[in-house]
Order: sequence, then structure tokens, then C-alpha cells
Amino acid sequence: MSGLLAQQESDRVDMTALRADRRGRLFAQMAAHGFDALILGRPADITFASGARQLWTSGARPFGPGCIVVAETGQVHLLSVWDEGIPPEIGHDSLFGLKWNPANLLGEIGAIPGLKAVKRVGTDSYGPGFEQFLAAVAPDAELFDAVPALTAARQSKSAAEIALIERAVAVAEASLTAMEDVAEPGATERDLLRAYLAASSRLGCTTPPTEGVVCATPRSGPVTLRRLPSDRLLGPGQLVALSPSALYAGYEGGVGRTIAIEGASSRAERLAARCRDALDAVIDRCRVGGRGADLRVDGADVLVHGLGLGAEPPVIGGHAGADAVLVGDMVLAVQAWVTEEGTGGVLLRDVVHLVDGTPRVLSRYGSTL
Amino acid sequence: MPGHMIATVEGRPIPDAPDLPRMRRERMARLQEQLSAQGLDGLVLLWPSAVSYATGAHSPGADSGRAGLFRPVAVVVAGDAMPHLFTPYPEGAPADLSADHLHAPAFPDLDEGAAAFALALAELVPTGRIAIDELPHPLRRALAGRDLVSAASVMVPVKLRKTADELACIRTAQRFNELAMCDVMPLLRPGVRQSELTAVFLDRLYELGDVSNGIDPIWQPMPASLAVGPWTTHGDVAFPTGSTGQILRHGDVIWCDTGIHYEGYASDFGRTWIVGADPTPRQQVQYRRWQEVVDTVLAMCKPGVTALDLVRAAIAVNGGTKPWIEHFYLSHAVGTDSAEMPLIGTDLGEAFDEQQVLAPGMILVLEPVIWEDGYGGFRAEDIYAITDEGWVSLSDFPYDPFTREDVA
Repeated sequence: MSGLLAQQESDRVDMTALRADRRGRLFAQMAAHGFDALILGRPADITFASGARQLWTSGARPFGPGCIVVAETGQVHLLSVWDEGIPPEIGHDSLFGLKWNPANLLGEIGAIPGLKAVKRVGTDSYGPGFEQFLAAVAPDAELFDAVPALTAARQSKSAAEIALIERAVAVAEASLTAMEDVAEPGATERDLLRAYLAASSRLGCTTPPTEGVVCATPRSGPVTLRRLPSDRLLGPGQLVALSPSALYAGYEGGVGRTIAIEGASSRAERLAARCRDALDAVIDRCRVGGRGADLRVDGADVLVHGLGLGAEPPVIGGHAGADAVLVGDMVLAVQAWVTEEGTGGVLLRDVVHLVDGTPRVLSRYGSTL
Repeated sequence: MPGHMIATVEGRPIPDAPDLPRMRRERMARLQEQLSAQGLDGLVLLWPSAVSYATGAHSPGADSGRAGLFRPVAVVVAGDAMPHLFTPYPEGAPADLSADHLHAPAFPDLDEGAAAFALALAELVPTGRIAIDELPHPLRRALAGRDLVSAASVMVPVKLRKTADELACIRTAQRFNELAMCDVMPLLRPGVRQSELTAVFLDRLYELGDVSNGIDPIWQPMPASLAVGPWTTHGDVAFPTGSTGQILRHGDVIWCDTGIHYEGYASDFGRTWIVGADPTPRQQVQYRRWQEVVDTVLAMCKPGVTALDLVRAAIAVNGGTKPWIEHFYLSHAVGTDSAEMPLIGTDLGEAFDEQQVLAPGMILVLEPVIWEDGYGGFRAEDIYAITDEGWVSLSDFPYDPFTREDVA
């Protein structure tokens, strides 16, 4: 998006073709699920449908109509006061402005061609009072859950989407290098968070998927994985879990490794080997047609979730997600976490692309222990 | 008024540092008061700002998709002095939250998570009416048959007037935000990238304290005239359009806008800067007109004044033209949301503004915009709190390179 070179040849990813492909998948799923219109509020769904650059804010966004897709006209309508960052295929006629007065918002959305007559409307979330809004803009419409259709459209990635995820992984790996550079006795967890955010921003990725990226684990007593970086000082021999991520053109990549401050003990090395074995075992079971229940392994806490336009379903870990089905061209973040009282904790996370046969690991950082 | 007396809110001075346990108790008392007054048996909160208000729990800053999938959820049971917190981040729960109120994460956006949460809720609130802010479809299915209403009728009134401790949180958030901007200002030279300004901002911000960034920082070069674009739905100024890796050039007029969270409370920083050049006399005049609008509004700010009074005064002093952007407002508040009530000067209209009456503890983030088409414009914003006697500023940052008087 904002690389530092300015070459004459085109970029490897054709964003115009990528957007057209996503729209094609979205409209195909709308047809398959019998939707006349979608009303979307989740930023990732809006990105998938429109390709628009939205202002990034931290945290879950309350549900509201941000993007409206009408099957009959084939149009994607977007809440945006301006055309900056809006792809050219979305014309000025398809933009509606920000309103604080619900009556004015109804006026704008009510004017969207083809919306009034729709019968089946899907949304990506819901809130009390939404029926009244829907009744006003589409009086004959019945409301349905659009998430299964959106998941079907989003979960299997195209080659171009995989390429963007790989770039995001590369940025996360750069952040991990920057974090390693400042990891020394006397530095705090938050110092490493700063290094992550600064390195990622300098590569043009200013919106972190999560700030929960540093955990200095204790050398005595129970070990838990904390995701809120603190003022804790890093000490010699301590195991510190690092798990940076990045968003590139909306797509998320990441990598997780654990480092030892000023060298690892032999016990720490054994713990790290245990974690690597567990992660490798889980990655090997990330097979097309597999189920969430397959991704359990003894002796390690495993967390697996989808990656694409940010974190996506499925979420598999503990007892959760046992029935989730793994499909081809899904991308998964696969994490293993092992602990030992008196030694600390080791976290490893890789990004895996599900293909026929052996899964492809997109992250590559080598061993840090 | 500032300077000659200690500003108080309902008799209490704004403390230097917030008393967090007291703040949580007072917020819970307000929530319980609303539940009782509205005949509600429980309150279920999924929105981050609402969970933060009800529980005081911390979560790592995150992109919306991840933040939704791994969201903390709060349940307030009528008559219970403590909230229930379902969170993937137990380390972020306040130390005084008892163990039987701290639960495993809920995953209300996933079918099996929503079903399990519905069972937990049936134990906590077996019968009666529940207010809720959002129902992802899995949760909607899992709670089918329960009597659910919107949580807005609870959350809007409890957040409208801040306690002294809440004001201390907002002032602290603003202070951290301002200090980080001090490190950014000297970098504003021809050739710097927007993403470099963000890198320095975030690096310094997280050095300063236990904070979380709220918005991708905005460093928007403004055109001299609207005809240059971007095109807008209303023909007024496009702002904020968001940052890229754009290289800033000599003379660019930058409208910056950043916001962070401290103990859940939002800051809001807005200034106009110029890259590598001093303001022209014309630009200085724009600033002074902006200052005149702010001074006029502040001179009226005290309990009992209506928002419509402020709107009319701001328009009058600007020669009859509305001095703010069409899709925004003269003023909004901050709290655990970066824009919350009172919203003053919106398309909700005069009748709405007339029934908004200033009261101690209300927040006004005044953000007038002076636009002179062909010559660009000036925008800045500062946070003020309405006090028992008048108002107090929670911002403290100069308008450099703009000045009230000509420099000799």
C-alpha cells in the first residue's frame, strides 16, 4: 500500500481484479442463500463488499448500516461522506452521508434503488430496534442471518488474498525483529509493544490487529498467558512470548515466537522443543475436510482461528470449535502454548494456508530458542 | 471560571488522579438507579465502551474483527453491587472484582458460545426484562423468548454527566495524548510521511503510560478549495479521510486528529499545523475567527444554558454562517466513547438542541471549523467540562504556529 519504492512495473496484486473477485463471490452467495439485499455493519464485511478504505478505530464497532448490497441492481452502497479511498466502481450515486438524525438516515437509505421492494434481507449483526428501521426502508422484508453466506464468501481465499496475507506476515516478522532488538534486561513489556507499533507503522501498517503481543513469563509459580502488556521488567533468563500481527490492505498476518532474555536454560530449551513439537503436530492436522476436534494435542493449549480481513471464524481451542470444518484455501493462525512452573511459558504461532495435501506455512522466522 | 477558583462538579473538585474503585462504585450506582427506574432485571453489554463503563476492565486494543470475536461481555444484575464480567482477558479485570463475578469468555458471536452464555445468563437473570446493546445473530437465537429491550435508555443517561473521577480520567488521557503530540510536532517538515508521524506518536504514547490508541492518527493535508476535492455528499469539507503513507510537502495545511484511551476514557486532540512554513496573515485571521467562536461559546457555558443557545451564539459570531462541518457538530462529548452525548449542532435539529441543558459534569469538545473557500481553513478542538459555576478546560496545548496577536 505504501511501500518505499516507486517502480514502474505494476504491483503483484491487481487490487481491481481482487475487488471484482470478492464482489462476484459475495453476489454468488447472496443468490445461493436467496438474499435480495444485505445490510452490513462489521468493518471487515464492508471491506469485503466494497474495498473502501475506512477510518480505523480500535475495538468492536457497534452494529449499524454501513454498507448495503442490492442483488437486483448489483450495486454496493456505502456510508461515506467523501469519495477519497472509495474504489472507482462505486460511484457517487452509491454513497450516502453520515447522519445523526435517524429520520435523515432513513431518507438517505430509503432512496437506494431497489431496496424498498426486497423480501429477504441479511445482516451481519442485529440490535434491538432494528426491525423498525428495516420496516421503514423495506416494508415487505424479512430479516435473516447473513453470516453463513458471508463466511462462505470469505473463508476460502484467492491467490491474491493469500499474497496480501503473506505481505502482512512479512510486516509482522519485521515487527518481531524490532521487538527482539530491544528485548534486554531492564526493558519493559511495553517497551517491546512500542517497538512493534513503531516498526509496523514505519512499514505503512499503522493499525495493529492487537496490542496483546508481549508476555514476560514468571520463573516461579503458576504461568498464565497475559495479553495486556505491562510495566513488568524483563530479567535475565526470562522467557518472553512475542506475538505481533499486521494488517496489509485489510488482510491480517502474524507470527509468534518466544525469546529468552540473555540466553535460554536447558529446561527452557526443552520446553521450547515441546511447544514446537505440539505446534508442528497441530499444523500437520490442518487438512482440508478436517474438524476442529482434530486440532487438539496433549500437553499444550492450542488456539486456532481463521485469518483474512482480520481474525475470522472458526475459533478452535479447548472445548470450542470442535465441530468446525476446515475447508480448502482457508488461512489459519495456529498457536501452541506450553508452561512449566519454575521455567516459564513458551508460545509459538504460525500462519497456515490449507491446500490439498501438506499444509503451507506462510510465516517463517526460524527458532528463537 | 478557570484561574480564580477551584472548579467543582457537584461540590467535588476534580482530583489530580482518579479514585478508580470509587469511580466504579459510582458508575454502578447510576446503572442500578436506571435499572430500577426502568423496571429492568438485567443489563447485557457487548459494546467495548459500555463494558468498560460497567466493569472498568481492560482489554488490549484490537482491530474490530478480532475485538468482536474475542470480546468481553458485561452483565449487570438488578440489585447486585458488582458487575459480572465474561472476558478472554482476566488479567484486565479490576482487582476488587470478586472471583464469582469473573467468568470465562463468552463468544456471543459464535453459536456454541452464545448458547453457553444464554445458560449463564439464565442463572444470573432467570426471568424478567433485560436491556442489551447488540445481538449478534447467534446470541439473538440463543436468547429467543427472553424479554429484550435496547440498552440505550440506560447507557445514554448514565454517561451524560461525568463524576469528578471520570473527568480526571479524561484529563489524564488528554495529557498523555498531548505529550505524545509534542514529540510529533518537530517532525513536521517537508518530506515526512504520515506513517512516520504515526510511528513516533505511538512510540511515545506507550512510553508515557498504560494507554491504548483509539484511532488511526489523522494527518490530513487540506486543499485550498473544495473544488480540488475530495468530492463529498453534501458539498462541504471532507474530513477526516484517514491517513496513508502520503509524503507531506512544504506549506501543506495539516488538520491532525488523534485520540487515545486511559482507563477506558477517550481523549480528543485536534490542531491545524503547517508543514515547514509560518501561517500567512490570512491563515492567522482564520485562526483568530476560530478563537472568537470558541471564546464566545465558552463565555456562555454554565449550568442551565441550552445547547441551542450555544449554537445560535456560534453562528452569530461567525457572521451568520454555521462554523462547523455539515456532517459533524459544534461540539460532542467524550467518555468511554470518543463521541457521545451531548452532541450539539447536529442534524437532530434546533428542537433537540433546545432540550439539551448544560449541567455539571457534562463534556463539551468544541470543534468549530473556519473554512474560507479558496484559502483553506482552520480547525482545532479542545475538551471542556461544565462545572458547578461555569466550565474548566481539560486540554492544555498551544495553537502554534498560530497566535492571538501579531508577533512584533
